Amino acid sequence: MAFLDSVGRYSIQQVEYVGLLAIQFWHASRLLLRINPFSGKRLRWRRAIAQMAEIGVRALPVVCLISGATGLILALQSGAELRKFGAMEVVINLVGTTMTRELGPLVAALVVIGRSGSAISAEVATMVVTDEIDALRTMAIDPIDFVLVPKSAAMLVMLPSLTVLAVFSGILAGGMFTYFTLDMTIAMYLRRTAEILLMRDIVSGLVKAVVFGTIIVHVGCLEGFLVTGGPEGVGRSTTSAVVKSIFLVVLADLICTGFFYFFWR
Amino acid sequence: MNEPTLAGAERRYPHETGAKPVISVRGLRVRYGDREVLDGVDLDIYRGETMVILGASGCGKSTLLRHLEGLEKPEAGSICIHGTDIVTASRKEMERVRRLLGVSFQSAAMFNSMTVGDNVALPLREHTDLAESTIRLITRMKLQQVGLSGVENLYPTELSGGMRKRASLARALAMDPEILLFDEPSAGLDPIIAAGIDRLILRLKDAFKMTLIVVTHELQSAFLIADRMCMLDQAKILAVGTVKQILANPHPRIQQFVQRIADDAAPGSQSYVTGFE
Repeated sequence: MAFLDSVGRYSIQQVEYVGLLAIQFWHASRLLLRINPFSGKRLRWRRAIAQMAEIGVRALPVVCLISGATGLILALQSGAELRKFGAMEVVINLVGTTMTRELGPLVAALVVIGRSGSAISAEVATMVVTDEIDALRTMAIDPIDFVLVPKSAAMLVMLPSLTVLAVFSGILAGGMFTYFTLDMTIAMYLRRTAEILLMRDIVSGLVKAVVFGTIIVHVGCLEGFLVTGGPEGVGRSTTSAVVKSIFLVVLADLICTGFFYFFWR
Repeated sequence: MNEPTLAGAERRYPHETGAKPVISVRGLRVRYGDREVLDGVDLDIYRGETMVILGASGCGKSTLLRHLEGLEKPEAGSICIHGTDIVTASRKEMERVRRLLGVSFQSAAMFNSMTVGDNVALPLREHTDLAESTIRLITRMKLQQVGLSGVENLYPTELSGGMRKRASLARALAMDPEILLFDEPSAGLDPIIAAGIDRLILRLKDAFKMTLIVVTHELQSAFLIADRMCMLDQAKILAVGTVKQILANPHPRIQQFVQRIADDAAPGSQSYVTGFE
């Protein structure tokens, strides 16, 4: 009975968490529409730009490096197998499609989780602990609008951008492999990759980036808002934001991939 | 029994004028888990008066303040501010009420990622369409009112505790609130700076005729700034009255509190010291 009890309790907690995420998402999405440089509030837009620099620009070197390494690993590993069948040129297909559809968005998301997902939850949790969130509420400023919305806007711009660059650096690294093993110039390699890639591949990669970005920013903020206790609570919420973001991003990846596999051939 | 006088005439306190209260709390009940934090609190606060909420740590006074600020919803009861019950108010109504309130937090709650100037300017930037130059001017003025000049470009962490408190007060004043709520204005400050904050509160009261609600356990400061006091103990209000009335109240808990007598030394309590005598 104790076992059933704890399973039930755990399930309720998880459902509640998803519910909170959904409420936060719905609330923020309506506010998000008001943040544009033309009619929105100056302050929100300025904060969003600052966040873009933090989330996107500063993550760029790491994303390119890791993505490049991933592309090269992919080329080496698949090359080692395909060599046996004399089908080395398939490496181009493999690297191009896998990076675009799968690894580009994933690598970018994982780097952003490590850099910004954790930072977001730490920032929000600290604001809760030091009464700053309460102060916002007493000033009739919606904390979701003030804290989450600029970050969300920044994430929705920057994660797809980072993904594009991650895909490109991964493919370029694969080109280095073919340059040395197939005597193929980089230009030729890129032309072949462009022939292979379909609109479907590119769209599915970008859709994933948007979904991942939304997950990262919302989980980060929610973990921050739910902080309990003092400073040690901030550490706990940061850890939990990273773990939950990774889990949800991979889960969403699976769902997206399945969706594109079955519904857009 | 002489009430304190003003310019020779008998001073009339705001609660004696027969006006309707600005804030009226009825039957407020708050429970955290199975602990009763506030148990049927009734309180009226009138325009222009300074109400000090006094009580021991953990008696529920900060909780009462958080409910007045609308940060938490009670289990039962009503809190009417200017006729709007903030317990049942819609989001829009709540926002309107909140613009009447200025809140100074115990921890100052300054936004550490922004300069002091931006902190004070934040409500103006959020809620008004004033030009940036006007906002800067108001910000400087508000900081001057609390005795801080030339700190606009510093970050809150670069200020001392007392200065942070003043800065948070300037932020609370930014929208010219009608009602100012203060949580422990002198907590964690040395006596000299705490006295400075008290004087500042008195000055603001005279200059703006604001309604002030101050939560504190500092007796000296409470007696200095209060028009009326409300003594909270164990989730209930023991007494509400002017400073004189509270001092003269024979209730043992109130006398124990105002005379600073420790629990084990209070008459009638079992003292662990007696065992040694």
